[in-house]
Amino acid sequence: MPPALDTRRPGDRNAASRQRATDGWRPPIATLALFLAPAILVYVGFTAYPVVRTFYNSVHLVGPNGAAEFVGTGNFSTALFADPVFWTAVRNTAIFTVVGTTVDVFGGLLLALCLFIKVPFTRSLRVIWFLPVLMSYVVVGIIWVWIYDYEWGVVNLLLRAIGLGTLAHSWLGSPDTALWAVMATHLWKWLGFNMIVFLAALHALPAEVLGAAELDNCGWLAKLVYIIIPMLRPTLVNLMVLSFVGKMMIFDLVWIMTQGGPLWATETVSTYVYKRAFDWNTFDLGYPSAVAVLWFLIIIAFVVVMSLLLRQRDRLEF
Amino acid sequence: MRPWFDYIRRTPLLLFLLGYTVLTGGPFLWVASMSLRTTAEIFADPYALPGHLHWEKFADAWMQSNYSTYFWNSTIAVGSAVAIVTVVGAMTAHCLARYQFRARRIVRFVILSGLVLPPQMLILSLFQILLDYHLYDTLPGLALVYVASQLGMTVYLLEGFFAQIPQDLFDAARMDGYSDFEIFWRITLPIGVPAIFTTVILNFVTLWNEFLYAVVLMTDDDKRTLPLGIMHFMGSHQLDVGMLATGLMIAIIPIALIYALFSETMIRGMSAGAVR
Repeated sequence: MPPALDTRRPGDRNAASRQRATDGWRPPIATLALFLAPAILVYVGFTAYPVVRTFYNSVHLVGPNGAAEFVGTGNFSTALFADPVFWTAVRNTAIFTVVGTTVDVFGGLLLALCLFIKVPFTRSLRVIWFLPVLMSYVVVGIIWVWIYDYEWGVVNLLLRAIGLGTLAHSWLGSPDTALWAVMATHLWKWLGFNMIVFLAALHALPAEVLGAAELDNCGWLAKLVYIIIPMLRPTLVNLMVLSFVGKMMIFDLVWIMTQGGPLWATETVSTYVYKRAFDWNTFDLGYPSAVAVLWFLIIIAFVVVMSLLLRQRDRLEF
Repeated sequence: MRPWFDYIRRTPLLLFLLGYTVLTGGPFLWVASMSLRTTAEIFADPYALPGHLHWEKFADAWMQSNYSTYFWNSTIAVGSAVAIVTVVGAMTAHCLARYQFRARRIVRFVILSGLVLPPQMLILSLFQILLDYHLYDTLPGLALVYVASQLGMTVYLLEGFFAQIPQDLFDAARMDGYSDFEIFWRITLPIGVPAIFTTVILNFVTLWNEFLYAVVLMTDDDKRTLPLGIMHFMGSHQLDVGMLATGLMIAIIPIALIYALFSETMIRGMSAGAVR
C-alpha cells in the first residue's frame, strides 16, 4: 500500500464532522482510553519509539552490543563529504525517481485514457493490467531476472529472432543497462496502479464538459491538453507525490534483482543503508541511521516543495 | 463514418491494447506453465507449453523444499497481524469518527502520520528494539511490526466509512441504553462490514507480499515467510528454474484466488486509498 500524503479530509467528510459536532455527547475519559489504548500502545512501541531511536542512533557510533558513543554530526559529514558510494547511490536514486515518476504518471494516464474511450473488453483489460500491482516484489523480481536472462530470456530471444542479435545484452549484468532494466520492471509493476486511479478520476469528470468540447469540434489532443489534464490536476499531483516518495525509498526490487550491483550501478540509498547496517562487517548502526535520517529530511523537503508548486490554490468548480 | 473504416483507424490502438495485455498477463502465464514442467524440460525449450503436467512438483516443493513451513509462517504472521490491525484499527476509527474530545485532532494526526513514514526510518532501530524486547526472529514480533505498519491505512479507510453512518442510529441506541462498547460492537461493526472487508483484503495482500521488514527481522530458516523462503531458494538453487517457478506459483495462487473473487473490491479499495 502506498503511503498517504495529504491527510486532510475530503469534502463529504467535512460535512459528516460538522454534523457530529452538533452531537452534545462527550464520552468519559475511560471510554476513550479503552478505544484508543491499543492503537496508541502499538504506535508508541513500534513507530514513535523507533523513529526517536533512529534520530538518536544517527548522532552515535552504535556498537554490536548496543553501546553507543556520541559522535555529534560526524556521521552526517562523513556521508556528505567523504563517502563516494553514498553519492553514487544518491545519483542512481535521483535518476530512478525523476525518470520513473514521469513515465509512471503519464504512462498511467495514457493507459487510463485507452480504457476510457470505450474500447472492447474494457473490464477484463483493466483487471489484467492491474494484476502486477498485487504481486510481491519477489515474484516480480525473479520473473524479470529470467526475462532479462542473457541465454534464454525473452528479451534477447526476441532481439535475436528479428535479427538484432547484436543488441542482445546481459541487461542486469552490465553497469550501463542495469538501472534502466530494474526501472522498467518497477514501472511494469506500478503502471496499473496509476491507471486505475486515473480511470476513477476520469469517470468522475462531468460528462457535460467533455460533451460540450465535442460539440465545439475539439480534437482529441486538444481535449486532453486543455480540458482533461487541467481537470485531473489534483489526481495528477497526488499520484506524482506518491510515486515520487515510493521511488525515493526503492529497496525491495533492487535488492532482489541486483543487490545494488554490478559495480554500484543500481545502488540506491535504501539498499546502501541496508548494506551498511547488515551486510558490511562494520557492526555500526549509527552511520546507516544518519543516511536514513538525511534521506528522510530530503524526501520531506521535496514533498513540501512539490506540493507548494503544483497544488492549485483555487479549486476548479464544476 | 462507416464502421469498417473506424476499425482500420483504430487498429494501432487495438494492437497497443493487445500488446500491453500480453506484457502484463504473459509473464504470469509463463510462470504457471513452467511450474508444471521440470527444469530439464524448461532448459530444452523455455517457452513450450507443458506436455506432461508435473503436478507432483507442487507436492515436492511443499514437502521437500520447506515451502510448507514458509507458507504456514506467512499465514500465521500475516493472519494474526491482519486480525489484530482490523480490531485495533476499527476501535480507533470508531472513536475518532464518533466522539468529540479535545485530543481528537492530535491523535488522528499522529496515527495517520504513520502513513508517510518511510520504513527506512524504522527498520534499523526496530532491529535493535525487537532484540531488546526478545521479539527478534520471532513470528509474533514480525506480526506486531506488521500491525504497526498497516495501522495508519486501516484507520484512514475505516474512519472515512464510519463517519458516514448516520448519527441518528447512535442516538437511538444510546436512548435504548446501549453502552459505548455495545454501540461499537452491535452498530458500527455490523454496518461497517463492507469497509472492514476491504481493509482486511488489502492488508492481507500487502503483508503477504512484504519483504523489507521480514528480511531484516527474521533469520532462522524455520521462521522465514514465503517471500524470504523463495529468495533463499533462489540463492541456493539458482539453476533449478522449474522448482523456483513452482515456488512462485505457491506465493501467487492465494493472491490470484482473492483477486479472482474480489477484483472490484480490491481495485476500488486501492484507488480510494490513493485519492485523498
